[in-house]
Amino acid sequence: MKRIIQLTVNGELAEVAVDPNRTLLQVLREDLGLTGTKHGCGLGDCGACTVILDGQPVNSCLVLAVQANGSDVLTIEGLAENGKLHPLQQAFVEKGAIQCGFCSPGMILSAKALLDQNPKPTEKDIRMALSGNLCRCTGYQKIVEAVQAAANGEYMQGGDS
Amino acid sequence: MLLPRFEYHEPTTLEEALKLLSELGGNAKVLAGGTDLLVRMKQKIDRPAHVISLARIPGLKEVTPRNGHGISVGAGASAAALSRHELLWDRFTPLASASSRLGSPLIRNRATIGGNLVNARPAADMPPACMVLNATVKLKSRSDERDVPVAEFFRGPGETVIEPNELMVSVNMETPPPWTGGAYFKLAARKSLEISLVNVAALITLKSSNGAIVDAKIALSAVAPTPVRAYAAEQVLIGNKPSDKLFQKAGETGVGMCSPITDHRGTMEYRCMMIEVLTKRCLSMALESARSWKPLK
Repeated sequence: MKRIIQLTVNGELAEVAVDPNRTLLQVLREDLGLTGTKHGCGLGDCGACTVILDGQPVNSCLVLAVQANGSDVLTIEGLAENGKLHPLQQAFVEKGAIQCGFCSPGMILSAKALLDQNPKPTEKDIRMALSGNLCRCTGYQKIVEAVQAAANGEYMQGGDS
Repeated sequence: MLLPRFEYHEPTTLEEALKLLSELGGNAKVLAGGTDLLVRMKQKIDRPAHVISLARIPGLKEVTPRNGHGISVGAGASAAALSRHELLWDRFTPLASASSRLGSPLIRNRATIGGNLVNARPAADMPPACMVLNATVKLKSRSDERDVPVAEFFRGPGETVIEPNELMVSVNMETPPPWTGGAYFKLAARKSLEISLVNVAALITLKSSNGAIVDAKIALSAVAPTPVRAYAAEQVLIGNKPSDKLFQKAGETGVGMCSPITDHRGTMEYRCMMIEVLTKRCLSMALESARSWKPLK
């Protein structure tokens, strides 16, 4: 039996009728059309589906949509403001932290959750915070550099560095 | 991967949850963080007809110190919350440390201590930590309530003494005596998202900062079908002055209490060698922590 749930997604209230066996990931991608959040392993191992749920980064493939009822969800689509990229997004673009791009939304959201709590992280803090997000292209180095650059304020919202 | 269909229940009180469990029992699974259950359901290992979510029950996530005598950790407390808890790091170090090593940062934001214990995976992080802290779990059913020591909770891989109509509501620990220190060591090929090769938790109580060992507890996981308390290795330590040689002997004794398997992660022989080395290392870490024991401010 479907249930009506309410979510605040990227600041906007969404009301969806969902079957209990649908994950937050499925509802974001299939019901709300927010395909920036990626479906990778589906088992919580890869982090491609990372979203920020009530301030905490989680694997949205392991959260039932009904469990998220009443929650605040931030996806990669919610980061840009007025068409201008978030500093982390800009840093990822300019530092070459994106190759195929599949891990990037999750990677950026894990990084955002880190910087929200710890604006001046060490390299070790960054590597730890991103350790649930797998990247098969970059070897991580440029991703870490991008997060450091964003933390150092090298990119303002909008990206004119 | 898709989840099979099930009926979803979202009780808002503990009483309501216990009533559901007493009625649905074996046909239901309890959903806490979901990081184990939903994986098992996606893989069709578990196909419960009913899923009972604990998300809307108030109070299950609380971590409550009891006047300095102990601590009560709600079964729904997340690994992330426990890994950030100052009092846990100070007085219940193995549990804080084990919580900080579980899964990945993303998993830790959802995974709960109750789930980590009830799932009873042989390589789980929290069970050995709970065992050296002499933790007990509170199990409630509609008509009854009992406290079970974590050391007696596990029966086999995925199997515990919990009955289908029971719910774990909290994990309770007494504060260890002065001059106690603890540590947790996880051996795996990576730092995150890993199934351990060997986990060791240790707790040492000294007579004084430079005194003899008056009490010691060692527990291991990933080395047998259930987590193991290494009682004989503890006996090697108790009453003696701490030294590398003594810790080495305890490590050697510890190996004899384990029955590790050979798999693609490592051979039985390698695990045995690591049990010896890491028990010794973990004891040294616990000793250092015991020697720097300070009264709470």
